[in-house]
Amino acid sequence: MAKFLGINRLTKLFQMVREAGGLKQAYLKLYRNDDLKIGTLVGIDKYGNKYFENPYYFYGRNRWIEFAPHVNMDYDGSMIPAEWYGWMHYKTDLPPIRDGCRPKYKWIADHSENLSGTKEAYYPYSTTPNKVEAWEPKAKKQ
Amino acid sequence: MAGREAVKRAVQQVRPILSVDREEARKRALNLYKAWYRQIPYIVMDYDIPMTVEQCRDKLREEFVKHRNVTDIRVIDMLVIKGQMELKESVEIWKQKGHIMRYWKESQDPKPTDFLSKFIQGVN
Amino acid sequence: MIRAPLVKALGALGSPTHQMASRAVRTSAMVAQTPAKAPEKIEVFVDDIPVQVVPGTTVLQAAAQIGVEIPRFCYHERLAVAGNCRMCLVEVEKSPKPVAACAMPVMKGWRIKTNSDLTRKAREGVMEFLLMNHPLDCPICDQGGECDLQDQAMAFGSDRSRFTDINYTGKRAVEDKDIGPLVKTIMTRCIHCTRCVRFASEIAGVDDLGTTGRGNDMQIGTYVEKLFLTELSGNVIDLCPVGALTNKPYSFVARPWEIRKVSSIDVLDAVGSNIVVSTRTNEVLRILPRENEDVNEEWLADKSRFACDGLKRQRLVAPMVRMPNGELQAVEWEGALIAVAKAIKAAGGQIAGISGQLADLEAQVALKDLLNRLGSEVVATEQGFIAGGTDNRANYLLNSTIAGLEEADAVLLVGTNPRYEAPLVNTRLRKAYVHNELQIASIGPKIDLSYDHENLGADAALVKDVCSGAHAFSKVLEGAKKPAIIIGADLLERADGAAIHATVAEYCKKLKKPNWNPFNVLQTNAAQVGALDVGYKAGAQTAVKAQPKVLFLLNADAGKVTREQLPKDCFVVYIGSHGDNGASIADAVLPGAAYTEKQGIYVNTEGRPQQTLPGVSPPGMAREDWKILRALSEVVGKPLPYDNLDELRNRLEDVAPHLTRLGQLEPAGDAGAAGTISKSIGGGAIDIKLKELRDYFMTDAISRASPTMAKCISAVNKQQRENEAKQSVAI
Repeated sequence: MAKFLGINRLTKLFQMVREAGGLKQAYLKLYRNDDLKIGTLVGIDKYGNKYFENPYYFYGRNRWIEFAPHVNMDYDGSMIPAEWYGWMHYKTDLPPIRDGCRPKYKWIADHSENLSGTKEAYYPYSTTPNKVEAWEPKAKKQ
Repeated sequence: MAGREAVKRAVQQVRPILSVDREEARKRALNLYKAWYRQIPYIVMDYDIPMTVEQCRDKLREEFVKHRNVTDIRVIDMLVIKGQMELKESVEIWKQKGHIMRYWKESQDPKPTDFLSKFIQGVN
Repeated sequence: MIRAPLVKALGALGSPTHQMASRAVRTSAMVAQTPAKAPEKIEVFVDDIPVQVVPGTTVLQAAAQIGVEIPRFCYHERLAVAGNCRMCLVEVEKSPKPVAACAMPVMKGWRIKTNSDLTRKAREGVMEFLLMNHPLDCPICDQGGECDLQDQAMAFGSDRSRFTDINYTGKRAVEDKDIGPLVKTIMTRCIHCTRCVRFASEIAGVDDLGTTGRGNDMQIGTYVEKLFLTELSGNVIDLCPVGALTNKPYSFVARPWEIRKVSSIDVLDAVGSNIVVSTRTNEVLRILPRENEDVNEEWLADKSRFACDGLKRQRLVAPMVRMPNGELQAVEWEGALIAVAKAIKAAGGQIAGISGQLADLEAQVALKDLLNRLGSEVVATEQGFIAGGTDNRANYLLNSTIAGLEEADAVLLVGTNPRYEAPLVNTRLRKAYVHNELQIASIGPKIDLSYDHENLGADAALVKDVCSGAHAFSKVLEGAKKPAIIIGADLLERADGAAIHATVAEYCKKLKKPNWNPFNVLQTNAAQVGALDVGYKAGAQTAVKAQPKVLFLLNADAGKVTREQLPKDCFVVYIGSHGDNGASIADAVLPGAAYTEKQGIYVNTEGRPQQTLPGVSPPGMAREDWKILRALSEVVGKPLPYDNLDELRNRLEDVAPHLTRLGQLEPAGDAGAAGTISKSIGGGAIDIKLKELRDYFMTDAISRASPTMAKCISAVNKQQRENEAKQSVAI
């Protein structure tokens, strides 16, 4: 009956808003993520990204990330570090905190995001020499 | 034989394109001008160009006045034909906004004519 | 050293009487040959077309007279006949075997068949043998597309191959040789035409190349490993009909069909060799000689051919102005022109101009006009000449003409080394030495001229001895039909240069013959004659003495002007193509065009005006030199009255009409300056700048910037070190 009237959906909405921490917070979250979901917090990586899971949603939408608050709207998929990448993309069901056989070496480099479109983006440069080599004035006035 | 030659030469000399005398050519030119003049409000509307009807009419006058010194009837006819082609293209929306705006040549830098500016720009 | 066989046989006896006798034999033979036997032409038939030829004509030449080209590999017009490639075999009626057309003189009534079955079969056979041992590497061969063997195999070869031996013994393979940084050898491709061997010994005068072995084992090489380094080595690349000798800096760079060719003039020496500039994608790739019988025949000196990579290095690509901190900084044209104009305004007429080695005539005229408008008359060439001697054109020209020197029979070289100052003048002298029994003597240091000559000593007083008729060589000069005295241009920079010049000029009046002017000055700078023709004074010191506030250096890179000589506040403006001595002392650098980038007239040492044509555009913001001066004149407010090259050429025609008749030679009168005879020739040894090969390679801004020329110098040095080491071991 409740299902028929759509009341269960309303309850879900209330639940979501409560989970988000009030109407304002829910609005902000919706604004930032274009989505408002409830789920269990699976883990937080060292950059402050939070990973959630809720098997209630369909496969493909049941794992998501809330990026660290300090990046604000400038988040990007490549901010997900390598250890969480596998879990996010369903390569594994074990998140890194629960997976004991992850290799840990000193030399593993820190994760870096894709810098395309930013100032630090990689620009290839030409290695072919110029056809004409210009004269460099080196000597000062004698 | 000789007569036919003479006729041939005479015909060759004045073989008209459209008009046979100055008056007719003048009429054709005026007709073209009027046709353009009446079409301009629609062109401004259809192409949504950032120009007023008055500006367009000034430009129309300018384009015609550019050829005011043409006296050869055949040249006048040819210019009229080209003008009609332009008009047809504009009316039928075969052109695009940029083609209309090209009459004002806003994006074209005038080529340098004196030696020094040619030198500095590196053109001959 | 080869002379013509008869002359050699007689001349070897050594005494003057024998030499006289040999000369008599030769001249009488010539006299008898030319006018008397001229009517006695014999008739032969080439492909049934009758041809009248003089006796002694070869079959190949007779065929060429009616435009029938007989294929050849070893035969070359300017080299001795070898007759070893057999490609020119043709059938002659009633002859049992086909004859080699290049070596066989025609007989009366011969019927030569250049396209008969037998001839074609002979050619196909020869071609088959050649290709049997020639690698099929045309796709990676630098000669591909301009290869005589390729062309002739297509035109005259068989349409199928019988070569099946590849699985058994394979093709002949020969080890490549290292003969220097200019010529690359792939000896497997060699077809043993021996053109290179003959060129080296006949034209270049170095017997470095030769053949070893016989038949299939024959090899072209230098016997012991050494470098084939002469000032003419590049010509063997052109001579080689296959890809055995190719251009090393140009290797794997381009194919002939990708290239655009521009006919131009070389300016790295004063000969004015005609060249073809090969360009692609706005880049000069190589330089080849162009035929001009009056100037360079079909040869080209190595510096002219290989220094073209210097056009891509050390270039001035943007105008520069010296900032208050003493650094040259690139600026826009407006800024540079205004900076120079300000300095000119402040100078108030105390302006001077120096024109250097590579300046074209147009720029020189424009500079002179500009300076005259600004109220200055001080324009000078960088290289010196005798004071007051520039009024008479004959004073600074090679009056006997380059082609004329071939006919000379007694030559005195005073303070010059034509081998390195003008290699193609030296080939003419060598040609005269080989074919005309030329006697040569030199005053100056002992040098190797690639032919025998008598070194009279280095003392300048010897000039006086010879010219007074007291010296033994004076007898030779006076007895000669066409004597010539060649003075080096650098010698006239000496303090007693004017006296030497006057003494020689006076003597030459005595030696003069109808249609023959024995007085010659061998210039070294391509721009010198033109500058003097349009009224430049000689010597950079003329400009320095004026103590100018603004000094223009037009391509002046020889380093004859230093900062110390100039007033402290002097503003130096350099106009030119390369960053060299001139640009480094300049306060403002205005980038000009090099000789492959502009249309400019250069007058060669014999006074022949010729023009360069642009093959590529000037790099970056560089402009043609005269345009810079024209633009500057407008900024200063005294615009020059020409806007394009035609108008400038009209102005040039007003100044010096003979300089716009391109390619034509204007004969000059007698040499001799008034009132200089009073000075006496001081003592002291005469010195020459370019004594050895290593001195030859870098003489101007372009060749100094060239990496190939640097490689040549290090190769010469290395060879010398090795030779010294060997000698010390032997001792």
